Order: sequence, then structure tokens, then C-alpha cells
Amino acid sequence: MLTLATVMTHAAISPLGFFFQQIEIGITRGAMYALIALGYTLVYGIIELINFAHGDICMWATIVTLAVVQTMGITAPPNPIALVGLLVLLLVIGMTVSATLNVTIERFFYKPLRKAPRLAPLIAAIGVSLILEEVAALWRGRSFVGFPSIFPDVGISIGSVRIALLDVVIVVVSLALMYALDYFIRHTRMGKAMRATAQDPEAAALMGVNINRTISTTFIIGGALAGAAGVFYNLYIQQVWYFTGFQLGLIAFTAAVLGGIGNIYGAVLGGFLIGLIESLAIAYVPNGFAFSDAIVFAILVLILVVRPSGLLGQQTPNKV
Amino acid sequence: MATKSPLKVASQTASSAVSTARDWTHETMIAGRPVIWYVTGWRFAIITLIVGVLLPLVPYSAYPDIQSLLVALTSVFIYVMLALGLNVVVGYAGLLDLGYVAFYVIGAYTMASGTFGSLLNFNEKPFSIPTFPFALLLLAGALIAGIFGILLGAPTLRLRGDYLAIVTLGFGEIVPIVFQHIPTFYGSLGMTSTPPPPVNTPFGLLSFTDPLNNAPFYYMALLFAVLVAIGSFALRNSSIGRAWVAIREDETAAESSGVNLVRTKLLAYALGAFVGGVAGVMQAAFVPSVNPVNFQFQISITILAMVVLGGLGSIAGVILGAMILQFLYVYVLQRINDPIHASFLVASNGAPLHFLSNVDFSSLNYLIFGILLVIMILLRPQGLIPDARRKRELKGEGAAQEGVSAIGLLEQEEAGIGIGAAADSLDETEYSGAGSDAQGREG
Repeated sequence: MLTLATVMTHAAISPLGFFFQQIEIGITRGAMYALIALGYTLVYGIIELINFAHGDICMWATIVTLAVVQTMGITAPPNPIALVGLLVLLLVIGMTVSATLNVTIERFFYKPLRKAPRLAPLIAAIGVSLILEEVAALWRGRSFVGFPSIFPDVGISIGSVRIALLDVVIVVVSLALMYALDYFIRHTRMGKAMRATAQDPEAAALMGVNINRTISTTFIIGGALAGAAGVFYNLYIQQVWYFTGFQLGLIAFTAAVLGGIGNIYGAVLGGFLIGLIESLAIAYVPNGFAFSDAIVFAILVLILVVRPSGLLGQQTPNKV
Repeated sequence: MATKSPLKVASQTASSAVSTARDWTHETMIAGRPVIWYVTGWRFAIITLIVGVLLPLVPYSAYPDIQSLLVALTSVFIYVMLALGLNVVVGYAGLLDLGYVAFYVIGAYTMASGTFGSLLNFNEKPFSIPTFPFALLLLAGALIAGIFGILLGAPTLRLRGDYLAIVTLGFGEIVPIVFQHIPTFYGSLGMTSTPPPPVNTPFGLLSFTDPLNNAPFYYMALLFAVLVAIGSFALRNSSIGRAWVAIREDETAAESSGVNLVRTKLLAYALGAFVGGVAGVMQAAFVPSVNPVNFQFQISITILAMVVLGGLGSIAGVILGAMILQFLYVYVLQRINDPIHASFLVASNGAPLHFLSNVDFSSLNYLIFGILLVIMILLRPQGLIPDARRKRELKGEGAAQEGVSAIGLLEQEEAGIGIGAAADSLDETEYSGAGSDAQGREG
């Protein structure tokens, strides 16, 4: 024990510091995953659809906000006040784009299939996902496009752990959005309607809930959260790619399943957990970067096999 | 829906002319016969086969592009195999598999490893290198893929349809990643395989590597596609095929009727994977290089699109769907790009005239597949050529009384969702999907 501690203090970057740095990265990524996972879990909770196109909704926020930044000609960090304005603008645009896209897709592609067997809308969602990706590829090509560094590279260091201001902003804004969602679902009329629809759509309709409007609202909220995640992804990863949504979507879906799909607290918990698992796997598993996706998928398979209801979900019996 | 009594439906459907005339396959006539006459049963098989067998005899003078056409069609036949294999899992047993590419890649790597191929020794590799016989490799690839099918299937059996889809998707993603990062398989360099050695036949020595004569490989792929089609046909009408349909329609009911869920589902996985493995070996022998980047998720979706386009569970439909989509991709789209750009989109001095000038038309396939998937699911979920079982129902011959829907996976309302679902289910099975618009007209 003593020798271990000695090694830590003498190393250039102590193993403990390295570990906490990975934790910091994991939390930041986890916040983004949680935002996307919320969209999966909200939609699944209300119409039992795995919205396969959800990751691509997020990708469209990244690609549109990139176009906005490029149109404005911003290539370097502006002064702090302008930066705040720019971030708000990007968030508003990204969230609007994603929400509009999501609700439009729901209206035209999922709504007609609401009474169809559950695999039909899933296949439709896969088709929509391909369309979203390929249209993005037509627009921006199939290679990575860099997103300009519009956020200044500042931060504080605690020991050897560096906490960037951007990471703090991402986590804080994400948590604020999650709190707003929680408040919305628990304390507003529409939130109540959403909970009722999730429990039993027909009973809710009989009680006077406008099912169509409730489902549309769910898609708007899920899309907006994915849009925010897309903006953060741009600021954090700084790479725009037509296929980003596929990988992001699968990771976020895994997060939603890990937490218990249909449960919004589960999605947040799952998002942060997957973020942590991923960053630790990249750091500590040999060749971890190459296998990080495989590890996430292995976790997904494991949860579904061992505990399909997830960490916070309820076990539901098979309906006959 | 509720106003239609089963009796009334039966009386209407009994005269098949009335009930089936709503379909383009019945309305469009070719030489006095409806399209459906040509594309069902043995007539479809025989017509396709005759055309397929005679095609390589077309001389170069008649169609200069014939060799590339044969190459394209070889790839089409490999995809016909894949689509038929996936059809067993998705169409028959109703288990949505989004990672089918995994079995394809396993077959391909079996072939490449079995012929000791690697990109590193590509230039030095003499074709006399001793390798396992091709037939043995085919069997090995198929068996290994089949074993992986069972390994994947076993832990996921309890999962509901959409969860299962995601797990299979994860499996389909993991397998190429693993191949990409294991040094034995030369990582992202990929491997090259040795094509099968020349075969001595009554027609002379047939080489599988002659770029000027692609007919041998073409015939081999055709033969295997036909074998898989015959196998699909035999399976569909066997007791195991009926057990699959029972599971697809209602798992709980099937189990209470004595269907062994575990064995039946695993068999569907294993057989689907087996066919995927055969296709993988064929592909690796044909190309003959294997690279993990060529086995991405989109391949799984492409195969799924073929099955959905043709008609889930319908052998003729799936073959047609695979032929249309793969031919579109490997032949049509590859050939329209330059002419379109030359004639419409680029000025004579080479300057782009239009934003479409920058579009690579040969890469539009996934966009087209995506649009087709969505359109088919929304407008014609039963596919281009609906399953024969459904046709029998429309004629009212027995199957309708059992309440079996042809494409239950996509058309039958899941039991228990709606309050009146059980009461309506008999009407539902007969008139869902394309039937619903006909109802509007009739009722």
C-alpha cells in the first residue's frame, strides 16, 4: 500500500490523477449520451418504438450548426459575451432543427404505423435513418469536416486532473436540461398527459388526453435534447460526420437500456455510466480505443440477457 | 373493420377474381397473363432459371458488356442467397436480425484463412499453393457461421422482437471489429483468398479466375442460389417451417400448442447463419479479397431491404427483391454515373452546371434502399410478391380459418394491444395491409 502511494506521488502523471482524468472525460461524454438516451427512453416509454433514427437526428443538429458557424465566418473563440450569445444561438438552432425533424418524421413515417405490429415502425425508422445519413452525406460528403474551435481552451487543474471550462459548461447545461425535463414531466399538464399515455394510451384517451399531441410533444422534447447533445458534440469532439449518429445512437440506446428503457432517471444514470465505462475502457483495456464500441455492445448484450429491464426499470411480464 | 363478418369476407374472397384484382401483379398483363402468373411457383423458377442458364451464351458481339454483366450477376446470386437466408430468420420465424452481416463475414474469413490468404503475400502467392478443397471450405464456413448463429441465438431467445433486433445489430457490429483488430486476420489490411482451382469438366478445363470468362463462377453462384431456394421451399412446407410461422404469429400460443421455442428458434438462427456462411465463402472466393470495412452494418440493412421489398416469407419475392436491389447497385448505378454527368451535369469544358454534378450516383444505393424500406413498410408491407400462404387465405382455402396471416410480422396487429384486438383479429388477418384500402372501396 505504501509503495503504491509512493509510486503515485513520484510519477509525472500519477495513476490516480490519470484515473480521475478519465472519470472527468467520462462524465462529460456521459452528459451527452444521457441527453440522447433521454430521447430514446421518452419515445420508447410512450409508443414502444426504438427510434432508430434518433442518433441521426442528433447528427443533423451537428451538421446544421456547423453550417451556421461557417456561414457566420467564426473560426476562433470570440469575446466572452459574444461567446455566450453564440452558444445560446447554436443551442436554439440545434434544438429547433432536431425537434422539428423528429416531430416531422413521427408525423409522416411513424404515425401511420401506430397500429401496425411493432417491428413495422422499427423497420421504417431504420429506413429513415439511412435516408437522414445519406442526405447528410450528399450535402457534406463522406469524410470528416472539422468544427472550428469556437470555445476558448481554458480550465483549471486540480493536481494533475485538468477540468476544462467547456466540460463544465456541457455538464451543467445538460443537467439543467434534464432538470427542466423532470420538472416538465412531473408538474405540467402535458407532462401528466405523457405519463398517462405511457401507462395506457387507450385509458388516457378515454380520460380526454389528446394522444396525438402528446406523442408529438414527446418527439419534440426528445429531438430538442438530441439537438443540444449535437451542439455539445460539435464543441467537444469538433468533428462533423454523416455517420456520427449511428454510433452515438447505439451508445445512447445502450445507455437507455442499461438504465431501464422508459425510465428517464434510468436514461440519465445509464448515460453517465456508459460514458464512464467507455472512457475507462479506452484508457485501461489494451487496444481499448479500437474495441470501445465492441465493449459497449457487449455490455448491451449482457444487460439484455441478464436483466432486460435495466437498472431502474420494472420487470414487465409478456403480454398475451 | 368490425362491420365485416368473416362469412361475408369468405364469400367475397371465394371468387378469387374479385378479391385479388386489387393488386398490380394481378392487373398488369403480359401476353394475356397477369404478372402474378409468371412470378409464382414453378413458372417463376423455370423462367428465371432458363434465362439464367442461357445468359452466359450471349456472345460478346451481341452485348459487349456481357462479362461485367456476369460478374454483376454473380454478386446478385450471392445476395439472393443472403436474402433467402435472412428470410428464414425474419420472414419465416419472425425474428428481426439486424446483424446478419456477421455470418457473411465469418464465412468470408473462413475462406480466406482456409486458403492461407493475406494481402502481404498477394504478389508472391502462386496458385499452386496447397489449400483445403473448396467444397470443404464451403462446408466449414457454413458450419462455423451456423455455430455462431446458435451461440448468438441461445442467450437472446427470451428477448422480445425489438430488443432482439438491437442485440443482433450489436453482434453484427462486434464481429467485423474483432476481425479488424486481430493480427491473425491481418487487421484492417484484410486478407486475400485463393479462388477455387480449375475444374476438369466434359466441356473442358473451367477456370474460376479467367477475367475473360466469368461464366464458371456465375454458374456456381447460380447453382448455390438455386439450392438455397429449393431448401427454403422445402423448409417452408415442413413441420419446422410451420412451427416457425406459429412462433411468428403468436409465440405464447405456439408454445402452448407444443412448439419447442428454444429448439425452433435456434434452428432458424442456425440455418439462416449457415446460408450466410455459404454466401460469405462464395464472396471471398469470388472477389477474392476480404476486408472488414466491406462488412458494415449497411450490408445487413441492404439484405433486410431486399427481404422487405420482395415480401417477408415469400421465396419468389425475396429472390426478386435481392435481384432488383443488388443489380441496381452493382450494375445500373455503377453505369449511370458517367453518362449522367457527361450529358446533363457538366458543361463541355468540364465545369459543373448543377449541384448534382458533385453527386456520385453510384453511391446513391443506400439512399434508395432507405427510401424503398420506408415506402414499402408504409404502402405495401406485404412486399412485391406476397407470400403464397397469404394468397391461399385470400382464396379462403383453409388457412383463413386458422387465423394465420401470411405476413404476421408486419401486418397482424399484435394481440393484446387494443381492447377489441382479439375480437377483430379474424377480420384483421384477412384484410390488413393492402386489403385495407380495398375495404375502403368496397365498404
